[in-house]
Amino acid sequence: MCRLLYVLTRFALRLPLRQRYATEIRHCAKHCGKLCFSSLLTNPCPLSKFKRSPCLQAHILSTVLLPADRMGRGYIVEDAVERYLCELCEPLAGPITGLLIGQSSAQRDFVVMATRTPQREESAAATGNAPDKEWVTEHARQVSRMLPGGLSVLGVFIITETDGKDALTTLRQLVFAVENLISSEHLWNPADDNITDCVTLHVNPKTRKTICRTFDIKDTKSMAKPADWKYQSGVCSSWSMVSCCLNVDMLVPLPSNTTSTENMDACLKEGLKVWAHQIMSGVCLFDGRKLPEDTELTAGQKRNMRQTYTTQLLITPDERRLTDVIQRCGGSVSVRGTIHSRAYLHSNKPKAKLAEKLLKRDVVSTVATRVQMLLEELLTSEEERKSSRDTQKTEQFCLPRRVFCPIEATGPVCVCDYQFSDEGLCEVIDRLKEMLDIDAAEEDLDTRQEMTAELRESNIKAGCKIVCVCVCVCVCVCVCVCVCVCVCVCVCVCVCVCVCVCVCVCVCVCVCVCVCVVRAQFFYIIILIAKEILIP
Amino acid sequence: MVLLLPSYTGTILRVRGQLELKCPLHSTDVLPMHKAISETFEILRTQVKSESCVLAVCDSPVVIWPNKGANATPQEITPDTLCEDIHQWIQSDEQESFGKKSGKKKNKKSLASSVISLHLMMEVTNIGPLSAPILSRTVQKSHFISTTLPMDCAVRTSGNDTIKDACERLVEALTRQLCEMEKVTLQHMKGTTLLVPEPLHFLLPEPKGLVTVVYPAGLPDDQLETQRKELHQQFELPEDRPYFRRANVFHFPSEPYRDGYLRNPHLVLTHPTMNDGKPYLVQGIYSYHHYMQDRVDDNGWGCAYRSLQTICSWFQQQGYVEQAVPTHKEIQQALVDAGDKQASFVGSRQWIGSIEVQVVLNQLLGVTSKIMFVSQGSELASKGRELANHFLTEGTPIMIGGGVLAHTILGVAWSETTGQIRYLILDPHYTGAEDLQVITDKGWCGWKGPDFWDQTAYYNLCLPLRPKIV
Repeated sequence: MCRLLYVLTRFALRLPLRQRYATEIRHCAKHCGKLCFSSLLTNPCPLSKFKRSPCLQAHILSTVLLPADRMGRGYIVEDAVERYLCELCEPLAGPITGLLIGQSSAQRDFVVMATRTPQREESAAATGNAPDKEWVTEHARQVSRMLPGGLSVLGVFIITETDGKDALTTLRQLVFAVENLISSEHLWNPADDNITDCVTLHVNPKTRKTICRTFDIKDTKSMAKPADWKYQSGVCSSWSMVSCCLNVDMLVPLPSNTTSTENMDACLKEGLKVWAHQIMSGVCLFDGRKLPEDTELTAGQKRNMRQTYTTQLLITPDERRLTDVIQRCGGSVSVRGTIHSRAYLHSNKPKAKLAEKLLKRDVVSTVATRVQMLLEELLTSEEERKSSRDTQKTEQFCLPRRVFCPIEATGPVCVCDYQFSDEGLCEVIDRLKEMLDIDAAEEDLDTRQEMTAELRESNIKAGCKIVCVCVCVCVCVCVCVCVCVCVCVCVCVCVCVCVCVCVCVCVCVCVCVCVCVVRAQFFYIIILIAKEILIP
Repeated sequence: MVLLLPSYTGTILRVRGQLELKCPLHSTDVLPMHKAISETFEILRTQVKSESCVLAVCDSPVVIWPNKGANATPQEITPDTLCEDIHQWIQSDEQESFGKKSGKKKNKKSLASSVISLHLMMEVTNIGPLSAPILSRTVQKSHFISTTLPMDCAVRTSGNDTIKDACERLVEALTRQLCEMEKVTLQHMKGTTLLVPEPLHFLLPEPKGLVTVVYPAGLPDDQLETQRKELHQQFELPEDRPYFRRANVFHFPSEPYRDGYLRNPHLVLTHPTMNDGKPYLVQGIYSYHHYMQDRVDDNGWGCAYRSLQTICSWFQQQGYVEQAVPTHKEIQQALVDAGDKQASFVGSRQWIGSIEVQVVLNQLLGVTSKIMFVSQGSELASKGRELANHFLTEGTPIMIGGGVLAHTILGVAWSETTGQIRYLILDPHYTGAEDLQVITDKGWCGWKGPDFWDQTAYYNLCLPLRPKIV
């Protein structure tokens, strides 16, 4: 490396150098913050007198001049967030923390909503004014389950009058804890191109001043970097959406020792990991086409028009050879059904690769979240149940269905929640209010994407007998008067036998309708045409 | 790369993929187990015939739904597109973009490109909305089968076949393969051990062509002799040479050999033409072994060892033996074991000759060989008939040692009437890299005349004979 380059890269941050190349910096800044090498080289450049090749000059300039996005990230924030934060400033009662939600991309980041940490039932005075890290991280974990693909918790905000430095320390602790918890629950490996910067926002309620800084969570010793925080209207109004309906069909064995729910949890997690790997390595088709990774998804479409793309996912199992193909087990668990998955993409020329990544992550996390939620439910209810287990027993549980709610009346972007079959929509609305501070009405909710699961009784094994008693009322229409009374007993082995004796004097048509009291189902409609039966 | 397809103008479509075989077994009695397994195979067959079965052409954006009337993406491909047109969509290394190859490449069809690889996949997306998932838990002490089946079907198509025809045949081949796999699985199941069925392709002499057989993985060849005999009878093949051993598996041209050795470098040479004479060449596949390979510096002393390695590789790849090609040490140890050399021989750099080659072939591989002795190099010119005969009947490579050098003879071009003779020589003295171009240009594998031999030295030739097994 030449001496000049060495000197320049070593002292790149020194102010005098930046002043010296002020013209070039301003030129760069004018061109969207990106280095515009070709135009730089046509203008007189102090480095050109060293007669270096254009590539080398460009390299020198790039290391010296620190293009705009290296100075700090830029956050484009929805206007509604500003209004929300201002509302939270009103009460002036103790520090208020909350989460910032949006999407990161290489060039800039978008914040589409903010939600405050919900109040705890115990009085806040007991814990003092310091925000409870555990509570904030738990809130973040719950919120992150309610975000479809493309939306994620980008960082944390705090509204407090305390001094900037203290607030920053608190924010730093919170943001690291939040991001570490959320990423530990992911079933996929973070890609190399993942943005690892998180944002923290400190709002002073009296002065309404905001200080925005980012931390790199990959680096535990990361220092706060300043970042731009700009409000804009209609940030996500032209975001695109990719979606699909996906069949899930998983079958995992249970270990042979115990049969508690914790064991099922570990096995399911293993099974989910394998399934998640299949999904992440699957082939993705957008509107029926397989696109090369770096194609722009919205190429050829009008700018600022929101698009929806139907996606198809093709998967294949990985080759797996265990030493014992047949293993002992204590049973098996299966998850079968269909889920709706979607991901939102910013409108700044998103690439096919990004769409694929976000959608696949949403597929994996929606199934994992639902299984996790069901297992949590089962764990709490299992302590109450003291069921005697037969040696052969099949239980079925419905996973919750996904319900969507738009974050603003006109925008395409929605958050979601999961509704168990024994819950009503009011519970969903309550959770949306508590976790995401959204005031929604039942009409706003989109429940058409998934249907509640129905347990089918045909899963009950053949061989078990149900005895049901039917009371049959027979109505006989015939020329002459007769009365029939039938009593039938059904033994259910998928066949119902109904015996009806009709006594009448002449030709009649006997219509027998069996109503099974136990099962409340219609069984058979038997039409008997009897010839003359003479009864002595 | 080496190609063994006969001159055949059609395209081979090869589908590979994994299908998950997962089945709870509630009882370990034979009948219920077999029933459960058969039911699971039936489910897999339904999967393959369903609309969510998808064939994705490797290295290209082409995806075909064979059970949906051969619909495909991109839209330019219709069910009536000819199979050979798919080549234009396959991204080769030179090409950057994903579109059609520019220029008409239809006429230039190198044999290597006449195999199209397809990937078997399942589409998991659907038109919703359907019901949300149900978690079903069965608690019962039982067993569980969990493995993946390595599907591998190859279908030959001719120039006029459309994608629709090919798809029908592929789905049929996949279904049939699942049936065979079921049969093989149930046949070789013992108690609670199950061997995964593995399909292998074998190239039989025309007109039978490429044939797929399912063997249970993990069972060595000697336990499958009855199956092989049945196959030989079924395909009317002679019972004295192997066609269906694992080593006889057909090697598709696009797959690189994992060990890195060159195979059959002589195939790219042009054979000498002579009046009334023709070339008689080695039959089958061998790998080229020479100085400095495997990080063994045997420059100057190891030529006979390398020639022996070439011969051993021939026997391995034709399926006569399962052992890997022996190293120098193993060769020396074999000679000590056979009583031919003292124990101090192992680890030394002593030369060996044809007799030692014969001993090692017998000791390690159980192969007998004939020794031919020539008192003067000039006499070799008169051995044309014998050598030609050897290549016709046995077709094994010949090791020749004499003077201070050892070589491998891969073939002879001999004219009965004029007595002209040329020898196809594979030279183990080459010390460079596995570069086919260099090896053939510089004559490390090449045709030599009778003056190649030292006219006054005596030579011993070792002619290995094929064992008469199936």
